[in-house]
Amino acid sequence: MNKQYALEINNLSVSFFTADGETEAVRDVSLSLRQGEVLALVGESGCGKSVFCKAIMGLLSKDARIKSGEILKDDRDIRTLSEREMQLLRGSGISMIFQDPLTSLNPTMTIGRQIAEAVKLHNRELNRQQIKAKVLELLELVGIPDAESRYDSYPYHFSGGMRQRCVMAIALAADPQILIADEPTTALDVTIQAEILNLLKEIQKKRNMSILFVTHDLGVVAKIADRVAVMYAGKIVEYGMAEEIFYDARHPYTWGLLSALPYYARAKGELQAIPGFPPHLTPPPKGDAFAVRNPYAMEIDYEEMPPFFPVSETHFAATWLLDEHAPEVVSPFREISKRRCGA
Amino acid sequence: MKISYRRRILIFLLSVFCLSVLVFAMSRLAPGDPLVSYYGDRAERMSPEEKDRAMERLGLNESMVVQYVKWVKNAVSGDFGMSFKYKQDVMKVIEGRLVNTLILGGVGFILTFLLALLLGILCAFHENSWLDRIICKVGTITSCIPEFWLSLVLILIFSVNLRLLPGSGAYALGQSSSISSRLTHLILPMVVVVMSHLWYYAYMIRNKLLEEIRQDYVLLAKAKGMSRRRIMYQHCVRNIMPAFISIMAISLPHIVEGTYIVEMVFSYPGIGTLSFESAKYHDYNMLMVLCLITGIVVIFGNITGQAISEAIDPRMKEPEIMEVAADGSR
Repeated sequence: MNKQYALEINNLSVSFFTADGETEAVRDVSLSLRQGEVLALVGESGCGKSVFCKAIMGLLSKDARIKSGEILKDDRDIRTLSEREMQLLRGSGISMIFQDPLTSLNPTMTIGRQIAEAVKLHNRELNRQQIKAKVLELLELVGIPDAESRYDSYPYHFSGGMRQRCVMAIALAADPQILIADEPTTALDVTIQAEILNLLKEIQKKRNMSILFVTHDLGVVAKIADRVAVMYAGKIVEYGMAEEIFYDARHPYTWGLLSALPYYARAKGELQAIPGFPPHLTPPPKGDAFAVRNPYAMEIDYEEMPPFFPVSETHFAATWLLDEHAPEVVSPFREISKRRCGA
Repeated sequence: MKISYRRRILIFLLSVFCLSVLVFAMSRLAPGDPLVSYYGDRAERMSPEEKDRAMERLGLNESMVVQYVKWVKNAVSGDFGMSFKYKQDVMKVIEGRLVNTLILGGVGFILTFLLALLLGILCAFHENSWLDRIICKVGTITSCIPEFWLSLVLILIFSVNLRLLPGSGAYALGQSSSISSRLTHLILPMVVVVMSHLWYYAYMIRNKLLEEIRQDYVLLAKAKGMSRRRIMYQHCVRNIMPAFISIMAISLPHIVEGTYIVEMVFSYPGIGTLSFESAKYHDYNMLMVLCLITGIVVIFGNITGQAISEAIDPRMKEPEIMEVAADGSR
């Protein structure tokens, strides 16, 4: 395995088994997280982003199952780990922060105790004072002023942004190499969002951490990501370096997402929305799941799933438009991108 | 909302007063002849004049208001009157029986909730497993069985057919201080008290815990590497404690009532049988005291329940919030 990867996920498929049948939430996803990079996973609600993260953490609910694939960390498939080994890995190897800081802290326990719990779990040799010192250090790291007096505060004493900082302190308690951030800024207002993003970026640099950043907001992606993977209906449809995705996107779904950004909409005169809804995945449609909403769809899109076509060494897109037999389609963003690149 | 202790005591006293008025009036307005309880069969052979004199002697000829005021006066000085049936000071009669009920009801109460908590945690931890399903089904069935019927069936099986356990009384004749005798007499009534209430509360606790397990903070606790067991005990069980204690306090009357029924069936010499007798025989003074004791226990249970849950749940302490807020703005 290549040493530059912190986490390598190969052909991961996750399904929910419910009374209505099997729902294929994540379908054959391969994605690798490089050492020290921020990889953004982008897609609309219900596309399988959160399920993907929970699968990595081994936190899927009982009705969900990893059908196939491997999740490699340090040359070991973490699917083969026992529950006990998994517990050791969570927090210290891979940590996670969640969407809603208002509900992800235990309301009846002080912030200090909740962070101390995480510290204690992975540093059994520390005594009480050392743990407290470490907690205070963490609180300062995530930018909570006056940490000493905040130690005994309850979550309801804090605002949303402050609580998300506390959640980050918990996630960082055992110096994880990998942080999965599942929409950590979605529930916050815009100014706080920017603060949290800067903080995350800063800590990531300081600790040389790898972050898998899940979001539906391309604006946030632009601020933080080194690489971007776009997910639709449980599959990755396009991935590449952040610049490649923003200035040279090849998949029609990525175009759709980009045209919903105010920046690009300004050039076109109005804010665009992708028509229709994401498909049901019980069972998933034949061919490309995006075909029905895709203005560029060809007949083959309804029949066969497109493979990944390389655009550059780092940039791949799964669309038949890149096939040599496909008609030439110019990205609606070519012009804007060129202008931007030239400037 | 936090209620001051002074206000709580006021509410308590007011409730006890209302209760005493109600019981006093109801017992006296109920049809029946109190003289029967004092004079037994002789009361039926009395002439009207003799009856009038007897009523006067017992102080029952005056208007109800006057009787009540007199009763309150005596009660405040510690004299609760005489039992018509036992012709003895009411407190004396109760004294001997109170202990029996306290053992049955008190131990039954604690045992019920201890088992309910354990069973609730067990079911919540193994949600939807075969174990959980079986316990849920069996529990629903047992909680639907009426106490008196269950008592009779147990007596039939264990004392009549198998002759393993005694079916009535609190101890064998002349062995009131023998612990083993008391224990064997306690088993069947205790089983009924616990069985008939257990599942109701265990199920409540199970569902409360399941609600708790689905909270986001549990996911974060898992993500930081905690085991399910630790999360259950250190987060979830802790968080349902205020609810648990409120349920305990509120359920006090149910368990008390259950104990009374069980005492009746097992002819267990406790307050339950005594209450039933005193109501049946118009033993006014006795009935008053017993109803007041029961009422005080119930009201006390409710008030302390609230006080305890306020003390446990930090969010209920208003003044502290203000303090920290003021601190933060500094």
